[in-house]
Amino acid sequence: MTDEKIQLVPASRFTIEQLTAIYNQTRVDYLVPMPMNAKRLGDYIADYDVDLDHSLVAMQGDELLGVAMLGVRPGRTWITRLGVLPNIRRGGVGHALMTGLIENAAKLGRNFVMLEVIKNNVPAYQLFLKLGFREVGELLVLRRPPVIPPPDPVIADAQRLERMDALRLAGRDRGTMPWTNQSETLINAQDVSGLQITLADDSRGWLVYQRQKFTLTRFAYKTERGNPATVAYAFLSHLHHQYPRLDTHLENIQLNDPHLPAFYEMGYVESFRRIEMWLGNPPPELRMSAPGALP
Amino acid sequence: MLKILLVEDMPDTVELVRKALSAHGYQVVHAPDAETGFQMALDERPNLILLDLGLPDYDGQTLAGWLRAEPTLTGIPIIAFTAWPQETARKMVESYGCNGYIQKPIVKVKDFVDEINSYLKNG
Repeated sequence: MTDEKIQLVPASRFTIEQLTAIYNQTRVDYLVPMPMNAKRLGDYIADYDVDLDHSLVAMQGDELLGVAMLGVRPGRTWITRLGVLPNIRRGGVGHALMTGLIENAAKLGRNFVMLEVIKNNVPAYQLFLKLGFREVGELLVLRRPPVIPPPDPVIADAQRLERMDALRLAGRDRGTMPWTNQSETLINAQDVSGLQITLADDSRGWLVYQRQKFTLTRFAYKTERGNPATVAYAFLSHLHHQYPRLDTHLENIQLNDPHLPAFYEMGYVESFRRIEMWLGNPPPELRMSAPGALP
Repeated sequence: MLKILLVEDMPDTVELVRKALSAHGYQVVHAPDAETGFQMALDERPNLILLDLGLPDYDGQTLAGWLRAEPTLTGIPIIAFTAWPQETARKMVESYGCNGYIQKPIVKVKDFVDEINSYLKNG
């Protein structure tokens, strides 16, 4: 990198293919590489309401140095896909991109900014602390492989929910959930449906999920009455019995989630952890669902 | 000649693996993503599949799951090829039915080839 000034350019000036290429180049040595093709990045931008006009690419002359994206929803923004080419890290590019995104969020009237960082990515974590972000929780990325035999479904009254009914349930009070699990993500997603379940002891809950060609993903769930782990085991048993050959991939499950024991019992394994961080405070309309708030 | 299917999206790594294994008498066929990799496994019937866990369309675990669920591919060793921390790699390998893993990057070509030989001998 030369002494020439770093320029920040709106990501909307680049094609999805160019953004995919720069993103992948920044991740080649990453703790969890997560490369993408153009289709996958395009879906990501659509599903997570990424605003390319307010997302940024860092350049020096004609050289692309890094990228960072901004998701925008009512009352909040989300920083994602931040990456800098490996050979120029610690040269101020990440700081410049982050500062630019925080400024763009403020221009949009949003002073509440969310992000997640992979646990043990110390340089990124330190950068975010320096910029004023604070840690609000630890998140799990979980997988359930399709090689595990499907469980017998728990005896219960299980009703399948079509998309609109499922979204109606998932649409409540999710504004401060991790961005990937907010109701807007499910609304943007294709092939969303759900399960509502009542057990013999009158415990009750629901699960909303997205079924892709090869995977089940994007779960939203709630226990309305009874023990969360028992209710979760029941809805998971019905789900995996129905789709025994699908891989399951869940992002950003909160570490203090009382449903977690059921996931482990059902054969889910931890892939890695993230730290959730916030800058600013959620506006009043989002606070209902802040961690620790009553449902 | 034994055939290795390499599912890997990084061109430099593909080149290195191809050179290393070809020099030891293996035929290397290559797929750059999971969907192509699954189709090539069906078409090419390799003796071993070397599978990157970070692929651009679906990740390697998902592909391992499809391969293991496909009855016509039973018995083909699947070896994860990953820079993930050892503990994570081990968990993923066990969970998704892989036979083992080889850590990236390749430091000594001879060690890498020895590991491939060992997986081929032991299944």
